[in-house]
Amino acid sequence: MKKSFLGKRKAVSGDMSLQITSMADIFIIILVFLLKSFSSGAMSLNPSQGTRLPAADGQDIAVEALKLEISETLVQVEGKPAANLAGFKFEGADLQANGSSKSLNQVLELERKRQLLIAQSNPDVKVDAKVIVMADERAPYSTVKAVLASAALNGYTDFKLAVVKGD
Amino acid sequence: MSGAIQQEGGSGSGASQDFDLNLAPIIDAMVVLIAFMLASASYLAIGFLDAGVSAAGAESTGAAPPSVTITVEMNAAKELTLKVVGKANATTRIPAAEGKADHVELNRKIVELTGTWKDLSAVTLVADSAVEYREVVGAMEHLRKSVPVVLLGGF
Repeated sequence: MKKSFLGKRKAVSGDMSLQITSMADIFIIILVFLLKSFSSGAMSLNPSQGTRLPAADGQDIAVEALKLEISETLVQVEGKPAANLAGFKFEGADLQANGSSKSLNQVLELERKRQLLIAQSNPDVKVDAKVIVMADERAPYSTVKAVLASAALNGYTDFKLAVVKGD
Repeated sequence: MSGAIQQEGGSGSGASQDFDLNLAPIIDAMVVLIAFMLASASYLAIGFLDAGVSAAGAESTGAAPPSVTITVEMNAAKELTLKVVGKANATTRIPAAEGKADHVELNRKIVELTGTWKDLSAVTLVADSAVEYREVVGAMEHLRKSVPVVLLGGF
């Protein structure tokens, strides 16, 4: 008679120890990779909630410069409100004859003075004409033009238009 | 992961000093850290388009002007107008194709011009006030394929 192999099976202990040493190794590698990929981006660009940047195939260059953001209700300079907008448009009283915005000019003038003061006290720092423009894709060109005119009047003439790469 | 400490000398009681490092809390901390980092990560790939401003300065730069200057005008109806001024003068209207600005035709005409005028290196883009920024950026993106410098005008 054939013996059942089941009968000879040894009783297996119900205790199980998970080998977590390799798991710890994997987690360390993932953590180091994430930290490295975060630190490699020298610049942080975080458009405000609701701001939709236009899609285009832009250059992937890391620049550190003054940040201007145009959203539906505000123009921000370095994340601080500088001028009010109503439906992406400047208020009539805020626009000057040269096409620039009065309130935005005041903020940009302060920023420029601050840069000049830093450059005077620290010879390693140079006054930069670069400015990063993060404008909502729905903004009319008249608003963008007014912001660019204000920036150009205060010495910021090298515009970097922020776009979302890919579709 | 385990370690062992051996004491030299002494009679020793013979008790084992092997120990196991408790990895469970380390794993817990790492899971929390990785989840936090993934949640706070931004997956938006941001690029930049270089743009200059086309405006007259108070003083002359001394640089020789190009043979021709090209201006591309966009209107709200997505019609493009190509203006050539200088040693040659021409105005060409490029109507919208299927409700969109016809960038292909515009590029074709600009490539013809760059072939004729070798010193042509910049184009000025002017848009009507009502034209949306996305249209301007779209035109800039296409123009950059045939001309290295795109300036924004209309100031």
